[in-house]
Amino acid sequence: MTEAIQKTVQPIGVATAALETKRLSAWFGDLHVVKDISLTVEKNDVFSLIGPSGCGKSTFIRCLNRLHEETDGARVRGEVLIPGAGKRENIYAQGVDPVSIRRRVGMVFQKPNPFPGLSIFDNVAAGLKLAGVVRRNVLEEIVEISLVQAALWDEVKDKLKKPGTSLSGGQQQRLCIARALAVRPQVLLMDEPTSALDPISTARIEELVMKLRSDVTVLIVTHNMQQAARISNQTAFFLMGELVEVGPTKSIFTKPKDSRTEQYITGRFG
Amino acid sequence: MIELSSRDGVRKFSNYFWLAMLCLLAFTAIAPLFFIFAYLLVRGWAGLSFAFFTEIPKPVGEVGGGMANAITGSLVLMGLSTVFGVPLGLACGMALSELKKSAIAKMLRISIDLLTSVPSIVIGLFAYALVVVPMRGYSAWAGGFALSIVMVPIVARSTEEILKLVPASIHEAGLALGLPRWKVLIRLILPGVRAGVTTGILLALARVSGETAPLLFTAFSNSFGYRGLSAPTASLPVQIYTYATSHDETWRQLAWTGALVLVFVVFCLNLVTRILTRRTV
Repeated sequence: MTEAIQKTVQPIGVATAALETKRLSAWFGDLHVVKDISLTVEKNDVFSLIGPSGCGKSTFIRCLNRLHEETDGARVRGEVLIPGAGKRENIYAQGVDPVSIRRRVGMVFQKPNPFPGLSIFDNVAAGLKLAGVVRRNVLEEIVEISLVQAALWDEVKDKLKKPGTSLSGGQQQRLCIARALAVRPQVLLMDEPTSALDPISTARIEELVMKLRSDVTVLIVTHNMQQAARISNQTAFFLMGELVEVGPTKSIFTKPKDSRTEQYITGRFG
Repeated sequence: MIELSSRDGVRKFSNYFWLAMLCLLAFTAIAPLFFIFAYLLVRGWAGLSFAFFTEIPKPVGEVGGGMANAITGSLVLMGLSTVFGVPLGLACGMALSELKKSAIAKMLRISIDLLTSVPSIVIGLFAYALVVVPMRGYSAWAGGFALSIVMVPIVARSTEEILKLVPASIHEAGLALGLPRWKVLIRLILPGVRAGVTTGILLALARVSGETAPLLFTAFSNSFGYRGLSAPTASLPVQIYTYATSHDETWRQLAWTGALVLVFVVFCLNLVTRILTRRTV
């Protein structure tokens, strides 16, 4: 009873939460891949999700910008709350347009996926241009800011008209980060953004994520536990679609409460 | 060991024998292409002159003249069929790639495959009933319409195939930017497959540039050159058909040369297609 009351009167989290899920479940057909996940991500967190392959962490973050439902046979139940105009809004409430949600919750994918046939500039400007921003000087300014934020500006400022696909893998991934940042999302979801990259590119992106913290809340799925330890301040451990443990990264890695977390981070499975 | 090596000999012989047989059969299959080309060169070359491209045919019995009327006519008809057929074909192709395995997509796909196999003379009849009869006369409109029906399924299927090659992650990248599906498809995916889509359009053009049956009673023919879109319009295939079966020696020569030019154009279109395809992949 007291617990229930505590949960309803918990204003601290409400004020600063960038994202909260309530009993979020997701399916592929009959396969229940995300099971009743409730967690809160504070504003300006770098929040990492770790767990073995197939534990549902990627599907989980794909629910947070309503991308999961684009897959055939995919289904979602539960609530995802993000701050809207004045109050928090459930992105799965009736009548909410997924398109408008995705402008506020951006995403970077596992493999760099710049739009083929589009220049570096147009790749970054795509989200704004197609949303109706036409003034050239506005576009130019935002493209530059986004590329600076993504630590790519110096490398591409002289070849903005070259195709985005002409860049190296690591540069392409930073281009994709710039593209996601250009629409000014509140939350940035990153689905194993460095798993296709070499160590040097990985280091650059990690550095970048830590800098981004001041502008945007980051949720990052990673297979690399060192990466989670290096860049995040909060970590959640997923196993077979369930949330096993969540807390400050330091305590998850040094004194995990659950024996399964301990087994995973010490490399005994996964 | 000795026994084995003698078996090896048999195996090697049999390998070379069958390889030679395959090469022979393959050559037999493509031989007609070379014969057609060689024969057209021999028969058509003599008539190839500046006048062929610039002059209209002379009356029966007179020497000289060209096929300017048929060449401009063919260009007009191909232009019209592109204007009607390409947007429709593109729309169909995009719809197919978006709707994937839904019931509508399946129906659409079957219909398009059926349309591909409808005899082109039937398409001509359809255009006759739909355009020629209400307009009370043969016209470039009717011919272009008939040819566009031939183009639609080719453009649609090639567009669908090329869009299928675009990884789902590119679609998702667009969706994740907060853009509606149709905008992602038209503004972000399509520019990336320009070359592939153009290939399909050129293939369709190559196909309709040689179509005769759909034009026989739609665009019909004329001997004066272009007289407007509502007038009967000459075309290379129809004029070749008419002249090749005539008794006038000059006209028959024109037919051979016309055939040579037509085959050359189709050949060039296919070549451009090849180059474009290589650049896409």
